[in-house]
Amino acid sequence: MNVRVKRREFLNLLAAFGGTGAALNAGAALNLLPAASHAQTLDLRSPDPSKKQVVILGGGLSGLTVAYELTKRGYDCTVLEASHRCGGRVLTVRHGDLIDEIGNPQYCSFDDEPHMYFNAGAARIPSSHKNILGYCKELGVDLEVFINENKSAYVQDDKMLSGNRIRNIEFTTNMRGFMAELMAKALTHEELNQPFSDAEAEALLSSIRAFGDLKENDLYEGSFRAGYKSGGFLKHGVQKDMIAFRDLLKSRLGRQLLSANEGDTGPILMQPVGGMDKIISGFLNHVGERVKYRAIVNSVEVLDSGVKIVYDHDGARQSFDADYCFNCIPTHLMVGITNNFPDDYKKAMKYVRRGDAYKAAFQAKSRFWEDQEIYGGISWSNSPSRQIWYPSHGIHKSKGIVLAAYDYGGGIYHTQMSQSDRIEAHLSDAEKIHPDFRDNVEKPITVAWHRMNHMLGCSARWQRSFSTGWTHDEEKLYETLRAPVNNRHFFIGDQISMHSAWQESAVMSAQWSLTKLDAYVRQDLA
Amino acid sequence: MPNLISRAIRRRYGKPALLITFALASAICVSAPNEPVNDRYCKTCHGSDGRGNEAIQAPILAGMEEWYLIRQLKNYRGKVRGFHPSDERGIAMQAMANSLSDESIRDIVGWIKTWEYTPPDATVDGDKAEGKKLYASCAACHREDASGNEAIGAPPLAYQNDWYLVKQLENFTNGYRGTHENDIFGQQMVTMVKQLKDDTGIRNVVSYITSLRSD
Ligand SMILES: Cc1cc2nc3c(=O)[nH]c(=O)nc-3n(C[C@H](O)[C@H](O)[C@H](O)COP(=O)(O)OP(=O)(O)OC[C@H]3O[C@@H](n4cnc5c(N)ncnc54)[C@H](O)[C@@H]3O)c2cc1C
Ligand code: HEC
Ligand code: HEC
Repeated sequence: MNVRVKRREFLNLLAAFGGTGAALNAGAALNLLPAASHAQTLDLRSPDPSKKQVVILGGGLSGLTVAYELTKRGYDCTVLEASHRCGGRVLTVRHGDLIDEIGNPQYCSFDDEPHMYFNAGAARIPSSHKNILGYCKELGVDLEVFINENKSAYVQDDKMLSGNRIRNIEFTTNMRGFMAELMAKALTHEELNQPFSDAEAEALLSSIRAFGDLKENDLYEGSFRAGYKSGGFLKHGVQKDMIAFRDLLKSRLGRQLLSANEGDTGPILMQPVGGMDKIISGFLNHVGERVKYRAIVNSVEVLDSGVKIVYDHDGARQSFDADYCFNCIPTHLMVGITNNFPDDYKKAMKYVRRGDAYKAAFQAKSRFWEDQEIYGGISWSNSPSRQIWYPSHGIHKSKGIVLAAYDYGGGIYHTQMSQSDRIEAHLSDAEKIHPDFRDNVEKPITVAWHRMNHMLGCSARWQRSFSTGWTHDEEKLYETLRAPVNNRHFFIGDQISMHSAWQESAVMSAQWSLTKLDAYVRQDLA
Repeated sequence: MPNLISRAIRRRYGKPALLITFALASAICVSAPNEPVNDRYCKTCHGSDGRGNEAIQAPILAGMEEWYLIRQLKNYRGKVRGFHPSDERGIAMQAMANSLSDESIRDIVGWIKTWEYTPPDATVDGDKAEGKKLYASCAACHREDASGNEAIGAPPLAYQNDWYLVKQLENFTNGYRGTHENDIFGQQMVTMVKQLKDDTGIRNVVSYITSLRSD
């Protein structure tokens, strides 16, 4: 099955590259090293005793960050939280929890054990997210490694290899081998040789060979990296058959598989021991008594001297006057909450779109994946359920919670199904990867963020076009929204960042607003 | 504490009395076990006191006539509205109404009565003079001042969010609404929207309709 890349195939590829030389020149300018960054240290002044009432709308991560920091400095903080819980999109689902989906409330009946949970919202913390990690350290939240990419997990695509699953490592080893073969050939091609010195070409070629495990002749002929067909320990290992390049190219999953270890999801990733909401309880250990639950904000009025909030609590209308207000209520909900924000503010609030991420999980009666050499990580599929996440925690215990669907970008598909249709869809999708999945799982939970009460969305979407990035107009709207209103009202949350869907952004947005408050307070006191 | 426990929860967890005690004990726990829920979700989508939320595309409910409100809730519940696979907004409302009992609908209608109506901002730009001409054929049912006619089953229009009226006229045009065999009232609108011809006609008539409001 040795399918060498034909000459025409790689010549086509060369034509597609075009500007290799240009790319090299541009690269020469990249001699800047990013400055070493570290968690922000906030040097906030304590308040004027007559102006220390702070109201925080929403007990999301950013709201709690503000409550924690300002309470430390002597401000009198009150958090109004509409839901029965704090944390918003930091949601860990475990025994007894209510999943407050509008029209489809669910109660979780997972076994009541510490490792029997899943993170339905935020789940991974990259090591570069220093500010959220800083709070984990400060609040005593224990962390453990989160396994994201798992080479033993599966890849399954109906269009590839008759829909048969293969291991991630088979997909990526073969893919890399073929890609390396193309690159090696490209490098020996005269025109491309030009921009490289002999030493450079040699260094590049040896990396390419190593990248793809090429043979002497620069051909990819399969690799032991994809695992053994048999033997390998006490007997000689037998190499697995190569999978034809053409077959791999039938699947679009290469995009995910080859980038799973890059960017924000690059190793090392972490998770709090016991669930992401340990971060929330870490904050609540300090500011828990400051939170009013089921307090639904009804109106926000920014005044010259402060902010007036009207909210509903226990069926009664209440009012609260504060000197300053920090607000992490999602903008798409704030549009419907009576307010007197300036018109350009209202326009910006309406501009932001809401995401529709969706997750679903089951309790597994046994950790059947561990018998298949899978410990943590993700199996990828082209089915609508897209991903199966095996828990990084609770290894070798008798049971675990397995995530059977995670659609970050197109969650409306499952959101619009009934609960029973959702569950059936996940079971039949998962069966393509684990034929006995259905018999091994129970107690399904689905979390459709677009329908979750007091949330109605996943992360803010600022850009209308992901290919062109932020437009100038979008940047202006963003600047409008993050500017304080009257130095009294501060919008916060990952929605007020250029990198939504990360806790780091929620925390950094809170910290940024705190520095704005501080500048104002210092000026006011001077 | 909410006074209504939904049918689903009753079925699963029996009497609510036990559950309520948990809800108070949640200082450090992120969530107490088996929190009760009720069906009063309306404001999350329809905004403060049901004044409408354009970002969610959920219209004003405050001040809505009881007969129209009940009919629409039952229409959504029975998938007479919100059935078309491309009607994302109708589907969202359908999922809400799907689980409502008659008892719950009564409770909610009583609750909505306590909300104060506030006139919405205008968001639709249209030619009112052209709109007035178009409206001539609508007045027979919705009345000259667009205040509605219960006897015919035609709702008031003047007080509604303009963007919502536009959307519904589009929905009647696209077959998202008024095509279900049980939608006897909506069916009447399907022929009416044809007179509006296009988006411009829709915008013109809507900007005229909302100008009839006496705020
Ligand atoms: C599916 C998913 C996956 C994610 N994955 C990751 C990840 O792996 N790593 C990571 O770091 N981040 C991840 N995130 C992002 C992370 O969860 C968010 O960035 C962060 O939690 C946002 O916090 P926030 O403070 O902006 O507010 P939110 O969590 O949005 O909180 C808003 C709060 O406002 C409250 N509220 C709403 N209306 C009212 C009202 N009328 N009155 C009072 N209160 C109200 C809500 O109940 C809520 O508590 C993920 C999110 C989702 C949904
Ligand atoms: C998940 C968000 C959501 C929730 C919760 C919700 N609605 Fe809606 N509702 C909508 C949307 C969106 C529409 C517009 C649907 C359409 O275009 O057909 C709508 C439409 C309606 C309409 C039709 C209005 C008209 O003029 O025809 C009524 C009535 C209504 N909702 C009542 C309610 C009531 C009562 C509740 C609370 C029990 C409620 N809604 C809860 C989103 C919601
Ligand atoms: C023959 C009577 C009749 C005429 C004429 C008529 N309508 Fe209607 N209209 C109705 C009825 C009945 C309903 C309620 C449908 C339902 O219950 O779903 C309605 C509903 C509507 C709605 C939806 C309102 C809401 O809150 O969802 C709009 C908008 C509307 N009509 C606009 C118009 C316009 C514009 C015209 C003229 C072009 C018009 N109608 C002519 C009977 C009529």
